[in-house]
Amino acid sequence: MAEFNVNLRGVGAVSVIDVKGYLDAHTAPELENVFNRLLDQKQYQVVVNFDDLKYISSAGLGVFMAYVETMRENEGDIKFSNMKENVYNIFDLLGFPILYEFFKEENEAIKKFCDSSKF
Amino acid sequence: MIKTNLKFSGVKGLENAILLSIVLFLFNLIFPLHDVFMLAIIHEGIVFLTIYFLYNYLNQSLTNKLDAPLSLVLNIGILGALLFFILSIANSAYEADINGKISFNFFNSLLSILLIFLFIASIVYIFTSFRELFYLRQKKDPSTYFNTMLVFFALSFFSSILMQVEPSLDYPYSAFFVVTIILISLNSIRVAWIAFLTKKQKYYLLGLSIVLSVVFSLSFSLVFHSEIVRQMIYAFSPGLHTVFSLVMIYGAIYFGVIFFVTLFHLPTAEAFDRKAQEVASMMDITKLITQVFDFKELADTITSMTTQACNSDSAWLVTNSKNGIELNSVHKIGYVDANDVSNRLLGSGDASFEQIEVIDYDSLFRDKKFIEHHFHSVAVAPLKMHGKINGYLFTARTKGNAFDTEDRKSLQAFAYYAAVALENAMLIKESIEKERLEKELDVARDIQRKILPAVVPSTPQLAISALFVPAFEVGGDYYDFFELDEDNLGFVVADVSGKGISAAFIMAEVKGIFESLSKIVQKPSELLTKVNEVLKGNLEKKNFVTAVYGVINKKNGKMYLSRAGHTPIVICSEGIVERVQPAGIGLGLDFTNSFSNSLKEMEIQLKNNDIVVCYSDGIPEAKNSLGEDFGYDKFEKIISDNCSKSLDEISTLVMRELSLFSKDHPQHDDITLVLFKWKQKQ
Repeated sequence: MAEFNVNLRGVGAVSVIDVKGYLDAHTAPELENVFNRLLDQKQYQVVVNFDDLKYISSAGLGVFMAYVETMRENEGDIKFSNMKENVYNIFDLLGFPILYEFFKEENEAIKKFCDSSKF
Repeated sequence: MIKTNLKFSGVKGLENAILLSIVLFLFNLIFPLHDVFMLAIIHEGIVFLTIYFLYNYLNQSLTNKLDAPLSLVLNIGILGALLFFILSIANSAYEADINGKISFNFFNSLLSILLIFLFIASIVYIFTSFRELFYLRQKKDPSTYFNTMLVFFALSFFSSILMQVEPSLDYPYSAFFVVTIILISLNSIRVAWIAFLTKKQKYYLLGLSIVLSVVFSLSFSLVFHSEIVRQMIYAFSPGLHTVFSLVMIYGAIYFGVIFFVTLFHLPTAEAFDRKAQEVASMMDITKLITQVFDFKELADTITSMTTQACNSDSAWLVTNSKNGIELNSVHKIGYVDANDVSNRLLGSGDASFEQIEVIDYDSLFRDKKFIEHHFHSVAVAPLKMHGKINGYLFTARTKGNAFDTEDRKSLQAFAYYAAVALENAMLIKESIEKERLEKELDVARDIQRKILPAVVPSTPQLAISALFVPAFEVGGDYYDFFELDEDNLGFVVADVSGKGISAAFIMAEVKGIFESLSKIVQKPSELLTKVNEVLKGNLEKKNFVTAVYGVINKKNGKMYLSRAGHTPIVICSEGIVERVQPAGIGLGLDFTNSFSNSLKEMEIQLKNNDIVVCYSDGIPEAKNSLGEDFGYDKFEKIISDNCSKSLDEISTLVMRELSLFSKDHPQHDDITLVLFKWKQKQ
């Protein structure tokens, strides 16, 4: 069975989710749980760090689509960082870069949140 | 040896006994007095055989009553009392008529013979019952002791005749008599069966045994000392008189022993009862586990048995679930209270008990006396299976002592059974779920098969080949062709996110949308934009659909293409492949203008023998055993290398390469491969 791990940590006001392994229909609920927890805590600024993610399926992509609207409605967002090329290609093919912000490094994404909240 | 002989001769015990009784009866009618030596000897022999055969017969019929020692004792008691009654009446009748002359008229002798028969039957029955009690619950075979005693009974019987013949020869008789009494005393100690009685039965036996011991003692003294009884029985047969006395002694000793043993057993009776009940519950529960698959029912049984076995006031069972702990069954405690106590002991799922623990509830929660149930001592046992704790079994006392080692042991046993039952129930639930899932997949496959076109609309100029291989889990692949007008053919290759029946239903919806819109909207980019608009509100947030929509003019080979997040289109022209990827985001990802703004449309003029390939991500994302992707490059190479071959040959080759690549890995997504080849009119 392909393994998947998700870890949540806070960097200032921004929540960073580290995803690791294989994100597919079977493991997506774990990530959904983390997002639900963030909504409960009213944390709407989220960076997802893809550094250790090996694979993402359509069900995995669906998780971000399901939550991004709520985040944006509450002046937050879901931003992506540290994505490997093969994973990025999947996002790219679907046109995610038009709708989401992708960053090379996690701190760039965090910085973007901090900059925007100053205004 | 003797025992087997007895058994053998016992087969016809009843016939023999009746026959001998008749012989004895006739003998006594013919010879009312046996003062001749030979007659006396023969008579004694007949009496002995009658007793012997009757004993054999009863021996067999009584073995069926082994499970109810108390009813045996009661029977002995009734017969003993009857004997005592007859003996005392006979005795008092004699005393009333002190000068009573014993006349041997016919009537008298008939009466006395009938009485004698009653005596014989009674003492044999009593003796046989003693024998059954003797053998009851004996682990080792004690037959040697009993048979030795039987031999001495016989010896005493015959030595009494000897004494009658020659009164001076009384010492062998006395010796045998005394030895027999010693043996009786020794054999009377074997009363293991008393231990297995319940407390109530022990009290009952205690009363009964003391009465019976006295009754038998009195009977003995009557038999031995009363003149009339002595005359009646002794005159009939000295041997019978001896045996009669011995059986009365046996009764007196045996019930005396039973009285004291029962008395000493009383203090432990309760503990013994509890143990016996525990064993019985364990057996019940074992039976239940194999027969009942409903976990709730099992849990109810387990909690109620736990209170019995642990002598506690309440018991409840919780299992670990996703949202902390779940209360499965309560016994003599409210749901709210049980939940409260377990939550307090277990914390919010963080604390755990690796083994049985007894909690001094009083001292732990002295200050918090707000719940209705206030416990004195609470014991908790983990339900462990394969080293993992699946839940806890609780039991609690409101007063009395804290749970001791014995209680812990029984709680542990019940917890173990609960764990097994829980595991069973879970496995069954899983297998039912699996079955349901498989049925669902069948439905999904069915929907998918009906949705896909049965034939491809090939023309002499435009060859078309379509291949679809469903995955086990059923993905959401979809392709279709639309005859727009005489010249134009619309086509779509789409992939619905997700799997199973939900994907199949979305696919059916998408098919309907494409089919109706393709009649109205010609331009691929416009059509995809419209599809996206229709999908808004009809699609869950997390679902999306990728698609390629194109229109080919069957007359001139002009093709218009748009792509909504789908895998790139491959066009092979003169052996050179080109990956065509017009911009466009997936359907359902965004419902603002971003979608239409990003969507580009391409116009391609096909040349002779150009091949256009549309496919789903099941091909490039096919995995091998190392988890590597098949990839786009490998796929495109197969097409470029074989572009001169027929479309069917190409798709066969692609499938062959795919199955070779992922031979050790199950296909996890649908595979769709649609190929077009343009033949320029010469």
